[in-house]
Amino acid sequence: MSRVSFDRFCWLTLSAAVVSIVVLLARGDRGEQVAGLGKAAEKEMAYRARIELIRNLYGPIEALRSNGKSQEALLKLDELLRKYPGEAHGYILQGLIQRELGAFDEAVVSLVAGIKLNGDYLDDKSPLSRRAEIERLVTEGIQRVAERAAATSGNRSTAATLRSLNYLKSRLAGGCE
Amino acid sequence: MTMIRSREFWIVVVSGLLLGAVGVMLSVWGNPENSGVCVSCFIENSAGALGLHDQANMKYLRPELIGFVLGSTACAALFGEFRSRGGSEPLSRLFLGMFMIFGCAVFIGCPIKLFLRLTAGDLTAAAGVAGLIAGVRIGLQGLAGGVEMDRRVTGQRGTGYVIPLLFVLLLAFLVVRPGFLVFSERGSAARHAPWGIALGAGLLLGALAQRSRFCVTGSIRDTLLMGVRIPAPWGLAAFIGAASLLSVVNGRFHLGLYGQPGAHLDYLWSFLGMGLVGWIAVRIGGCPFRQLIKAGEGDADAGLLVVGMFLGGALAQSWGIAATTAGVPLYGKVALLSGFAVMAAASLLTRKDSGQKA
Repeated sequence: MSRVSFDRFCWLTLSAAVVSIVVLLARGDRGEQVAGLGKAAEKEMAYRARIELIRNLYGPIEALRSNGKSQEALLKLDELLRKYPGEAHGYILQGLIQRELGAFDEAVVSLVAGIKLNGDYLDDKSPLSRRAEIERLVTEGIQRVAERAAATSGNRSTAATLRSLNYLKSRLAGGCE
Repeated sequence: MTMIRSREFWIVVVSGLLLGAVGVMLSVWGNPENSGVCVSCFIENSAGALGLHDQANMKYLRPELIGFVLGSTACAALFGEFRSRGGSEPLSRLFLGMFMIFGCAVFIGCPIKLFLRLTAGDLTAAAGVAGLIAGVRIGLQGLAGGVEMDRRVTGQRGTGYVIPLLFVLLLAFLVVRPGFLVFSERGSAARHAPWGIALGAGLLLGALAQRSRFCVTGSIRDTLLMGVRIPAPWGLAAFIGAASLLSVVNGRFHLGLYGQPGAHLDYLWSFLGMGLVGWIAVRIGGCPFRQLIKAGEGDADAGLLVVGMFLGGALAQSWGIAATTAGVPLYGKVALLSGFAVMAAASLLTRKDSGQKA
């Protein structure tokens, strides 16, 4: 094959390949498209299923909480936390109940444990979001705990609570991570 | 005085000003706080969108990244500066690109974000600034001792077009949104400026950076070598000035160590993370942003480094290397120390004879 005819062959192959790609993409293959789109949809379905599972699992505890049976709710939560230690929802719920009961430091510890497992609880766009409640706790808490830390300097547990509150503040502030 | 009258000086200063201004404004327009421009974050997000990692909250094909490369390509072509070149230790560059992103991931941000964080009042970034300067200094010591990359070959037909074409393809993906592309619906990657604005900002910054050769680590390097008699430090000063001003004006300036967005309190690791980035940047000739710009103007070596950065971005998320507000994970520390080991070993093994005599 001479150089000229080889070049001609390459140009022909290039144009044929480009035209074919454009035609293939324009026509589209319905099956392929569905399979491709399925990736995002599948993830979303798995996420929704998880939320539904969370609602089913923790629904009775939420009911106890709203009926004012906080101690009973905490006991039930303990069981679930032992069964699902990697699930953030239990820690978040535990933190919110502890806060209602006035156990502020314990509430912060639980919330930090939950947020470290799943940041969705601080995301406005998430159906799991508890941002407003956590934001309130951090705003009130930082000042209160900072005053306590100043009054009892060297107190390790107060310093740890302040560190945890600063962590939550940092997560609430956003950023890319 | 002569410098102030030169065109080059003003191009560098305007580039710095716009990088600082756009860096803050992109956050105002929707990007995560202090991450208006962050090459390492953008790469981690884009790698996720392309399916290279599975961190659900870090998937978005950042238009700014595409804009940087294509803006540089367009500008280089317009001014006759597009030159296909390459062939200088390509495999080393691939791995250095990965380690550079590991350093950024441990710090949480590239050198541009380092200064955006600092100008927004995040004092934890000071450790990163110290680390970056120390890293650049070590790199310069290495250069003085004969540690440098092999000389590249110009006129490598075609190779320089690969990365610009790849980014044209990414632009097509961004517009067409094929089904295999996955974008986060929650988390930091779900937060972004409107894509048209982001792409336009990227194109503008890419074009300006191509003309000015502006680079954060390059500016520090040149300042350490030649002081303030050259445009580079003034470009960096303009960047810091514009970013500080706009952070204050937009109510985004919060001075302090605690409660800062996307920041941790592991100062030593922040120092080391940016230290590694500074050292690598001197060895390869520029920070992650500069590598994108060089890849856009036909530098295939920078192009392979960009590929390495994408791999690094994917691994940083998949292997749990990337730091979070909670701190630096174990594998992040190991990856960073491995980076230092690789740099030290490479410096010892690849030292040129002339350097040994010097």
